[in-house]
Amino acid sequence: MNKPVLECTGIAAGYVKGLNILNGVDLVLNSGEIVSIIGPNGAGKSTLLKAIVGIIKINAGRFYLNGSDKTNTPTYKIIHEGLGYVPQVNNVFPSLSLQENLEMGNRKKMNKKNFDDVYELFPILKERNNEKAGNLSGGQRQMLALGRALISKPEILLLDEPSAGLSPSAVDEVFESIEEINTSGVSILIVEQNARRSLEISNRGYVLDQGRNAYSGLGKELLNDEKVIELYLGKM
Amino acid sequence: MLDQLGNGLLLGIIISVASVALSLLYGVTRIVNFAHGEIIALGAIMASFFSNLPTSRYIFLENTSPLGLSFELSLALSIMICGIFGALLELCVFRPLRRNDFGNIAVLVITIGISIFLRHLYLIFASSKPQDYPLDLQRRQQYFIFDLTPRDFKIIVYGILIMVIFGLFISFTSIGKQMRAVRDSTELANISGINSDRIILYTWILSSMLAGTAGIFQGMINDVRWNMGFLILLLVFAGTVLGGIGTSFGAMVGGFIIGIVVQVSVALPFMEGHAEAKNAIALAIMIFILLIRPQGIFGIKERIS
Ligand SMILES: Nc1ncnc2c1ncn2[C@@H]1O[C@H](COP(=O)(O)OP(=O)(O)O)[C@@H](O)[C@H]1O
Ligand SMILES: [Mg+2]
Repeated sequence: MNKPVLECTGIAAGYVKGLNILNGVDLVLNSGEIVSIIGPNGAGKSTLLKAIVGIIKINAGRFYLNGSDKTNTPTYKIIHEGLGYVPQVNNVFPSLSLQENLEMGNRKKMNKKNFDDVYELFPILKERNNEKAGNLSGGQRQMLALGRALISKPEILLLDEPSAGLSPSAVDEVFESIEEINTSGVSILIVEQNARRSLEISNRGYVLDQGRNAYSGLGKELLNDEKVIELYLGKM
Repeated sequence: MLDQLGNGLLLGIIISVASVALSLLYGVTRIVNFAHGEIIALGAIMASFFSNLPTSRYIFLENTSPLGLSFELSLALSIMICGIFGALLELCVFRPLRRNDFGNIAVLVITIGISIFLRHLYLIFASSKPQDYPLDLQRRQQYFIFDLTPRDFKIIVYGILIMVIFGLFISFTSIGKQMRAVRDSTELANISGINSDRIILYTWILSSMLAGTAGIFQGMINDVRWNMGFLILLLVFAGTVLGGIGTSFGAMVGGFIIGIVVQVSVALPFMEGHAEAKNAIALAIMIFILLIRPQGIFGIKERIS
């Protein structure tokens, strides 16, 4: 249970040469866990996920998957290692049908069971199978993006603000799905602005501020920590 | 005007095939490829080099005779060479540029440079003399309402066939779907586990093979010249933009319209004696349509920006 599936040590990364947004981030995701990354806007949460999947270059520090060093591996290869990633924006192919969107995530093993498992989780994706993804509402898009990441049966799932911009009922659905996905054995790293909600379902959490770790602890602890409440969660 | 309709159909098919190729490349790589014309010419020139008899009056590189291969084999070899050439362009030029995050304008200027360079290479290789393929003269006959030679008719049939096959390929095959995925978003494609570099390489190969085919067709109905790609490129751009840049179906229809208008406008009363100006009307129509519909006939608005 406590084997790290994903580990970052001292990650520094940024978008332009010589300007790091992340300045030494440490993070561990153990097998079977849900771990939240919270922090103010612009703290570098999305940037950390992009560095992990290799969309931006890691300038210092290392990143390990199941103990083996994958620092700066090409993105598609990291995905083939059993990692699913749902970015915050532009997370579906708008001109492709729903079915094709899922196929793009599942090219390696084209079996029907993978599709059925996703359809079971999100029946709407089957009903609208042949529609273009560009026509979907925000909540449906998020489900399709999750489906696309899940269809290849990843061991680890990275989610960037999965509840952003969704209606309250859609938020509930997404968080329920996340717990369900986790129960099926997927370790999940989740970035959320809805910090309370995501810490509630998390085993542990990290607070990121200005590209550095500010706090870390068990999900429940962070929820009740006075400093964290004051600085990052706001009083209830 | 009706006699020009057959020619229009022919040119329409050729521009259409070339436009589909240009549009595919733009869609997947976002490169506006000014060297596309030279890939078109490469197909035509190589086919001439392979197919003309060693005893013909054409000489390559000032003293090399053409190879005198069968015409079918020459076509196949030429199209293959175009594909290989496209792959080399990607591997030796555009992939390294992409790695270094070159801006779109810089890449555009580089394609213009490649175009000028290649064009003059062709001038040295194939001389400035127009060349023909070793094909027998054919009499025009009536096909439906069109006046065409049997060879013209064949070109039209093959052109349509190529586009149908392309349409099926891009819609239903795994590689075709991945090309459309990369066209939508390279980053999301990578995140989905697609090796987008490989898909871009395939796109260069496919686009160049289609361009070379269009060039061979053009050489068959007209002649082969060192600057033939340059001459046709503007019409290909017009077709691509008219249909909506980045959409395959749009390029198909846009290219076709441009080709027909160019030929048919020759028959307009006021064009008498001004046949060299035949491109003007097609381009005027393109500008007019884009004024009303900036995204092109089949384009989607957000594609433009
Ligand atoms: N594509 C980009 N290019 C340059 N800077 C960026 C880019 N995306 C984000 N940034 C900058 O990086 C910093 C961290 O952004 P981000 O990781 O998106 O924060 P968040 O924690 O809200 O997800 C911000 O200052 C932002 O302006
Ligand atoms: Mg973010």
